[in-house]
Amino acid sequence: MNETAGRETPLLSIHNVYKSFGLNAVLKGINLDVMPGEVLALIGGNGAGKSTLMKIVMGIYTHDSGELMIQGEAVSMSRPSVALAKGIYMVPQEPLLFPNMNVEENILIGFSKSKSELHQELLDTMKEIGWNLDLTRKASSLSIAEQQLVEILRGILRHSRLLILDEPTSALTFDEVRSLFDCVNGLRAKGIGIIYITHRLSEVFDIATHVAIMRDGIITIQGPVSGFTREDLVKGLLPPNVEQVSQACASADNVVDYTKQPVLELQDFSGYGFSNINLKVYAGEILGVAGVVGAGRTEMVTTIFGRDKVLGGKALLCGKDITGQKTRQVIQAGLNYVPEDRHLNGLFKICDVAANTTSANLFSASMGHLFLNRQEEFKTTQQYVESFRTKVTGHDQLAGSLSGGNQQKIVIGRSLSTKPRIVILDEPTRGIDAAARGDVYSIIHQLRDEGVSILLISSDMEEIVELADRAVTMYQGRINAEFQRCEINQDHLMAAAFGIPAQEAVNE
Amino acid sequence: MKLLKKRPTFNWNLFLILLLAAEFLIFGSANPKFLRPALLLNSVNDFLSICIISLFVTFVMITGGIDIQVASIVGLTSITIGVAWQDFGLSIWGAVLLAILVAALCGALSGFFIAYCGVQAMVVTLGGSFLYTGLALLVSTLSSTEAYQGISGFPDSFKRITQYKLFGVIPFQIVIFLILFVFAYLLLHKTKYGRKVFLVGVNQQAAEYSGINSRLVIMSTYVLSAISAAIAGIILTSYLGTAKSDLGSGLTMNIITAVVLGGTLSTGGKGNILGTALAALSIGILRFGMPLCFKVNTQYLDIPIGVLLIVVVVGRSLAGNPAVIAKFARLRGRSKKEAPANP
Amino acid sequence: MSTVKKIFKVREMSSFLFLVGLFLLVGLINPKFLTGSNISACFNTSVVYTLVAVGMAFTIFIGEIDVSVGSNLGFVATVVGSLLRDGANWGFAFAMGLIIGLIIGLVNGWGVAIMKVPSLIFTLGTNGVLRGMMYIYAGGAWVENLPKSFKDFSSVTLIGNFTVYYCCAVLAVVIIHFLLTRTRRGQYFIAVGDNEGGAQLVGIPAVRTKVLAYVICGVLSAVAGIIFCSRIGFVTSTSGSGYEMKAVAACVLGGISLTGGVGTVIGAGIGAVIMASISYLLVFMGFSSNYDNAITGIILITIVVVDALMQRRAAVNNRHARLAARTMTADAAKKEAAAQ
Repeated sequence: MNETAGRETPLLSIHNVYKSFGLNAVLKGINLDVMPGEVLALIGGNGAGKSTLMKIVMGIYTHDSGELMIQGEAVSMSRPSVALAKGIYMVPQEPLLFPNMNVEENILIGFSKSKSELHQELLDTMKEIGWNLDLTRKASSLSIAEQQLVEILRGILRHSRLLILDEPTSALTFDEVRSLFDCVNGLRAKGIGIIYITHRLSEVFDIATHVAIMRDGIITIQGPVSGFTREDLVKGLLPPNVEQVSQACASADNVVDYTKQPVLELQDFSGYGFSNINLKVYAGEILGVAGVVGAGRTEMVTTIFGRDKVLGGKALLCGKDITGQKTRQVIQAGLNYVPEDRHLNGLFKICDVAANTTSANLFSASMGHLFLNRQEEFKTTQQYVESFRTKVTGHDQLAGSLSGGNQQKIVIGRSLSTKPRIVILDEPTRGIDAAARGDVYSIIHQLRDEGVSILLISSDMEEIVELADRAVTMYQGRINAEFQRCEINQDHLMAAAFGIPAQEAVNE
Repeated sequence: MKLLKKRPTFNWNLFLILLLAAEFLIFGSANPKFLRPALLLNSVNDFLSICIISLFVTFVMITGGIDIQVASIVGLTSITIGVAWQDFGLSIWGAVLLAILVAALCGALSGFFIAYCGVQAMVVTLGGSFLYTGLALLVSTLSSTEAYQGISGFPDSFKRITQYKLFGVIPFQIVIFLILFVFAYLLLHKTKYGRKVFLVGVNQQAAEYSGINSRLVIMSTYVLSAISAAIAGIILTSYLGTAKSDLGSGLTMNIITAVVLGGTLSTGGKGNILGTALAALSIGILRFGMPLCFKVNTQYLDIPIGVLLIVVVVGRSLAGNPAVIAKFARLRGRSKKEAPANP
Repeated sequence: MSTVKKIFKVREMSSFLFLVGLFLLVGLINPKFLTGSNISACFNTSVVYTLVAVGMAFTIFIGEIDVSVGSNLGFVATVVGSLLRDGANWGFAFAMGLIIGLIIGLVNGWGVAIMKVPSLIFTLGTNGVLRGMMYIYAGGAWVENLPKSFKDFSSVTLIGNFTVYYCCAVLAVVIIHFLLTRTRRGQYFIAVGDNEGGAQLVGIPAVRTKVLAYVICGVLSAVAGIIFCSRIGFVTSTSGSGYEMKAVAACVLGGISLTGGVGTVIGAGIGAVIMASISYLLVFMGFSSNYDNAITGIILITIVVVDALMQRRAAVNNRHARLAARTMTADAAKKEAAAQ
């Protein structure tokens, strides 16, 4: 429970809130207070219930039992317009702007005051915060960061007293993050309360005044940030009896032969979002690629995979030129890719596990010539279900009903079914629970032991530290640093990912 | 939305079989003539086109598209046969081949715009329905015969397709339909191509990332449905003995209803040939039984079919609604795994 | 000067120019066409299409569609025509027509917005039901012998050669356009079609807006049905069939995107004139009416494909520009460092 009882009325008070969807209990008794001028960092893994809780606060869902109080008075949040009227605004993780309207229309829609009054107020507000946005631009032409700014402006113009920021920095560059933090501090000074949802522990110590950790529908720890260390926070995230997977470095007896021909080589490779990439991945090696979102990593690999146009340079797979080839040819040549967004690009939700696993291998003769070879399909699916310990009720279970971790295992299985020489994993542990994450790490090690190369893209620096034999960082579309095993640590990676040259970081 | 296993498809087909059985029961008891094999089998001719075409429109709708130009392709096929044979001197079978080719081209054209240019299927096939109806009319002007008369006098070999009766009682068209049914079933449910059709319909992006050429797959489904319309046109022309440019008018809604009733999701990704066939038969039997047994004018038939469509889709929407499912689960007291719509 | 430039950039302007170009083309081929009465005839004949297109535009704005407008029109025409033929009070007959349109709109709105059935399928269903009801109500016969004054009113002109009907339709379109773009509630339609999730988050009542769109569409189609009666003078058992196609074509021609969120009713109005004039114009160009359907189909497909390709190119260019911007900053920084 909160310790600041009585002195000030909390902006938002959540009492004993429960919420179930059908027979699935998502929130099991949440108690949370947010004071004016407080920045509450809300952390939790996928499925912890953060999104649901915020949607209840925003009036999108209604809770089953418990109370919501705004400034001490109980409120029934039946729909978003009620929340808006009470001064709550949520900036969603993916900005939900109207792509065909311009910036001003996007910000001012839904207001009943006169347009000219609002226009002036908007200009004043923008000047006060120091942001310069062209109000006549169409929303579809804005970058993600700019879209987020528009969303925040919406919240400010509504005179919100409580602002919810859902993973606001996931798509921002270093400078944009800094200016966001300045903005947040400015809002704090005005007495606005902020709930800041994030996956990044470092941000908690940078910007938050209080922190609360959610796991499995309950709050495990909460309180002022000053009272916690990083380890405390991590402990709050993990389930109590999780097996401490050995965090030791990869065993010293895995020696990568750097004299042989690299499995994947990029020569001056350029495309949309990245340029002049020179990269080599060797057999049996795990190459980590770090960087912030927007650095161009995903763009680089999807271009290799045939999803976008190559603007220059070459990509060679075991010496064979695969530049500009179509996806199917690239797969047949021996490269496969696990997409970053498995919901959008990876899963066939209403198809069963077997169909999902074999979808990339359909062109192979082993799957049949005209007719689909069901036995082969069964064999392949079973092989991966067993070796990955994927929890399914059967091969005919629909992929959409699996948990995040199991879904990811299916997609990884599919990428391996084409027997690639190199697999590119793009944020493989995003949105999956700790146990599944451990399983994925084992799979990665297993692959490496079999001689398959792995290109691992991850925004989780710890992950790269744990898994990679070598690491590179990308910043604004270019590779700006390379680290050998002994040099890989979080500080180096973080600094390079944010564009701080290695020398500077060392000199500090 | 979390769904359970594959059982729903099986249940739905069962429901369709029951529906058919119910129709037979109701119509049969209302008027015993309904059950006379000769009459029944002959009646099939009226709705065979719906059955044949809906088999392949299923492919289109599984990819998430829709095809409302099939009806005009039927007419185009018919008149092409007529004009090519009568006025341009082609052999009858040459004319038939030409007609199928023309239909395939029509399907490919629309399919190209939909798959490669990213235009909505509804609009392209809408334009296509105008275009191909118009083309059919123009083709008919090439002939010396007046449009409203239609071209007739086809050679016996051509008319034999529909006159020949297997075992003396089953019209040959039904055999053709059965062959097409088996073909469509195997193609969709047993081949790699069919699997690709499903995958593209469920998630086109994921299909692309699996190396599937989704655009080619989508375009091919429109070629298939166009060819099926051509076959239906050939059969109708042979049966009626005349080639007319407006032969297919009015079929569209029945076809779409059959496909949707058969269990195909209009948003794509789900569907099955058996269901479509059963649904098409149900609709056809309805169209035959109502006038015969209840003296309902054929023009009124759009109502029950429209109502059927609405009831099916609303019912399906309700069945998929998590709140409704939860309520049922509570009522039954059984534990079912449910999940939030947006965790 | 910049206001004039802005006007020209507007999508509706290109539709309007297309129309003008069409007239000029016909005039070139057959100078007899370019008379006041011929040109105004093109507009006058489009009044029914205009109403239906504007009604359908509402449903397209919200990202859905209504293919029952044709049989809605036909059914209302049948009922109103029969009532008038049998000597009913005009006001009563019109009111009945409007109420029917309202009910149809409510049913469609319920199915699409509340039951969440895909709009194409649901309205296809109501389309069939209405068509059958139309047949039942008239007993399969045509509705004829309508009051002469009712029929004659359709040719009464107001401004120049433009009929009262068309002038009222234009006025209505302008007023509706104003309401949609300038009032707060009016913007909800486009917002819901542009981004439904985002609209809800800003407090826009999406479900209510959708139902309202269908109700408006239903009522406008009903009005179109009444005017249809007046203009054509009789109602057959298949009147109105195919109008939904023409309405979609009109909307697309007028710059309305079928995915929703883009377009204006003015565009729908211009598109309606184009659609209505085609057969009229073809006659002047020497084409027999046999070419109507084919040419309509070609025009529709061409416009839609060009539109889609342009949109796609714009989206791709946007994305590429955004991505390229990321690498650009690094280049600029390097240049600065090198210059120092």
